[in-house]
Amino acid sequence: MSGATAPAVAFFALAALAPVVVRDAFLLDGLVLILLWGSVAAAWNVAGGYAGQVSLGHSVFFGLGAYSAALLGTRWGLSPWIGLAVGAVLAIAVGFVIGFLSNRLRGPYFVLATIAFSQVLLIVASRWRAFTSGSEGIAVPFRPGFWTLGIADKRVWVYLILALAVGVYLVQLYLERSRRGYQLAAVREDEDAALSLGVPARRLKVAAIAVSAALTAACGALWAQYVGFVDPFYVFSVDLSVRFALGAVLGGIGTALGPFVGAALVTTLETYLRARFGGIGAGLVGIYLIIYGVALIAIVRFAPQGLVPWLGARWRRPAAGTAR
Amino acid sequence: MAGRAVAPARGGHRAVSLLSVAGVTKRFGGITANREIAFDVAAGELVGVIGPNGSGKSTLFEVISGFYHPDEGEVRLDGHRLTGLSPDRVCRLGVARTFQKLRPFAGLTVVDNIMVGALTRTRDVRHARERARALLERVGLGDKAEAHAGTLSTGQRKRLELARALATEPRVLLLDEVTGGVDQRTIPGLVQLVRELHAGGLTLIVIEHNMRVITAVAQRIVALYLGEKIADGPPDAVTRDRRVVEAYLGQAYAAPAPAP
Amino acid sequence: MSASPGAAPLLDVTDLDVAYGDFQVLWEAALRVGEAEIVAVLGPNGAGKSTLMNTISGLLEPRGGRIVFQGERIDGLPAHRTAGRGLAHVLERRRLFPFLTVLDNVLLGAHNPVARPHRAETLARVEALFPVVAARRTQLAHTLSGGEQQMVAIARGLMARPHLLMIDEPFLGLAPLIVEQIGGLMRRIRDEQGIGIVFIEQNVELALRLADRGYVLESGRTILSGRSAELLRSDEVKRIFLGDLAL
Repeated sequence: MSGATAPAVAFFALAALAPVVVRDAFLLDGLVLILLWGSVAAAWNVAGGYAGQVSLGHSVFFGLGAYSAALLGTRWGLSPWIGLAVGAVLAIAVGFVIGFLSNRLRGPYFVLATIAFSQVLLIVASRWRAFTSGSEGIAVPFRPGFWTLGIADKRVWVYLILALAVGVYLVQLYLERSRRGYQLAAVREDEDAALSLGVPARRLKVAAIAVSAALTAACGALWAQYVGFVDPFYVFSVDLSVRFALGAVLGGIGTALGPFVGAALVTTLETYLRARFGGIGAGLVGIYLIIYGVALIAIVRFAPQGLVPWLGARWRRPAAGTAR
Repeated sequence: MAGRAVAPARGGHRAVSLLSVAGVTKRFGGITANREIAFDVAAGELVGVIGPNGSGKSTLFEVISGFYHPDEGEVRLDGHRLTGLSPDRVCRLGVARTFQKLRPFAGLTVVDNIMVGALTRTRDVRHARERARALLERVGLGDKAEAHAGTLSTGQRKRLELARALATEPRVLLLDEVTGGVDQRTIPGLVQLVRELHAGGLTLIVIEHNMRVITAVAQRIVALYLGEKIADGPPDAVTRDRRVVEAYLGQAYAAPAPAP
Repeated sequence: MSASPGAAPLLDVTDLDVAYGDFQVLWEAALRVGEAEIVAVLGPNGAGKSTLMNTISGLLEPRGGRIVFQGERIDGLPAHRTAGRGLAHVLERRRLFPFLTVLDNVLLGAHNPVARPHRAETLARVEALFPVVAARRTQLAHTLSGGEQQMVAIARGLMARPHLLMIDEPFLGLAPLIVEQIGGLMRRIRDEQGIGIVFIEQNVELALRLADRGYVLESGRTILSGRSAELLRSDEVKRIFLGDLAL
């Protein structure tokens, strides 16, 4: 079980302090995105890390959240908070189906199935012009006010997303320390052995996926409001799914802080490279893949458990005399 | 919630059947791994299950513990039907098992491993941890509490697996090979542990290849061969049973020695 | 058809100790096989029979003891070296390459540099003994029945032109009729080609009816050895397999 919560407190405290000292909109934007992608990576971690259900189709939940918020806002003028709730419910439904599949399919077959889900919704969203405006995507209206999440001040966004991030972090922490957490760890290690000890493995896996789905959808809804535009080819993309998983894997799959650190790394690199090389389209996609590749190779080679455990081990080494 | 088995009944004739296997048949494609296996286990008994390779012992365990559903027949615990239930449900009802190919949760510590079992009986994590530590001492792994299960030797893993299953407070414990693959010197210790558990009132069904061990420990032995039960009785009778000798060694050994 | 008493044995294993890490599995194991002799290695589950065979062929390294084959020490030699010296090992459960053809499987048996030049001639000999190899040349190995696979596996072993053929559980999972067939083929290999055979078997009576001599292992030690006729019906054997109460 990952020990110290001190680094996490430091991480979130830093994030909380930042808006006080930093005024630059660009940097604040970066912080919001770091916290947001961190939250999604952490939401993914609930299923992928803690329950061992690796999915590369999580963008299906993200997109559901984004589209729910956007569609309910543009078509019926409903508050994006309601959109978030609806998106979460839809995501849970899809999550149950995927959870059902997780008990039927093993390993790579399950992963492929998750990818299939996101792609099916991509096709639906990009073709259903009548409902979703098809491939053009949806521009999210900006109506000032908290209830409508029409917030111009980046600093407020930072605190909003920070609250989300802390929430998801605490969900993970609960998963680590609680009875369900131990049981999930057992399922992750050896499902049959877990079953033989009375652990309701199937139910737990489905529940983990459902929770992960709901949290991911919530992130999607908030993201839609923040960015202001929902593009089906982006929100349901495999790229995005991979990014969620990557953040968790690079930062440390088995830890609560890991996904945030991993996502911070990826987002920072990405933002920097975009600013440096500019432009959009194919060239940028190529750069991402290079970052991913290099980061993955480096982590797998030097810190296979992820950054957080690796840093944690180095931290503890000077205190070699003290037992854990 | 979890009851401990009552004290072993002497004699056995009037003993109440705790676990009953009736007409269990399990087929895999063209092979009948278990054919109409039937026997009862009384509360507090220690029954050994023997048989050459391929006789269906492991399949029987998988059926009893709920990992396989038999094609015919049923298994009952105290009258309660177990067949058709999922393995975790079977465990919660009171049947625990170990695996022949040991399956520790390698990435978790020894204490955490046992806690997983304990948490089936209690919701309180702290209480589960206490229970786990007590069991650790019981099986002789007290000093290995915080070690990662993956670092244990085979003999230690056997003890861990035992403690983990015990943590679920079973009424019947299925032990799949106690002495297989362990250092010779650790066998007496493991056997002693099993004896103590039995003396404490636990009902045990033990698959064992080591004849010396099982004949010394079991009150009763069930012998399987090619999927069928060929003998059921006290150890001395079963190991002399003509069919059992024939199964293990061949007819030449089963036939009475020629007159000098 | 057994070795004459004075002749040096084909294979002489003495005092063999084998361990996996800290965990010792064989103690002072011994085994001797003469020219053109069939020897059975028996014992209860976990006795160390496969470990013994794997160590002789070089898949495992011994901690101590000697393995002398054809007068030369081979203990510590890795498996790909022993293959070229006249020792062939047919693994438990056949282990054919499932997606290669029967012919490819068999030809791979002659991979080592000593056997390679004579491949065609050996193949002809092998096909004469095992018609199934010729009949199913182009079939993928995994499509064959258990008995056919076993024959192909032995054929593959013979392609290495061995003086000693080691087979781990040749009769596992096979119908009695096939067992008879393969037993007969093993006798023919011994008689016609003068090749020595060592095999591991679970079924004691079956093994001793086929073999000239036998060894019984228990818990990593060689407990008994002797001519088959002696071991058949032996009370000692009963005790090893069924415990003291069996007597």
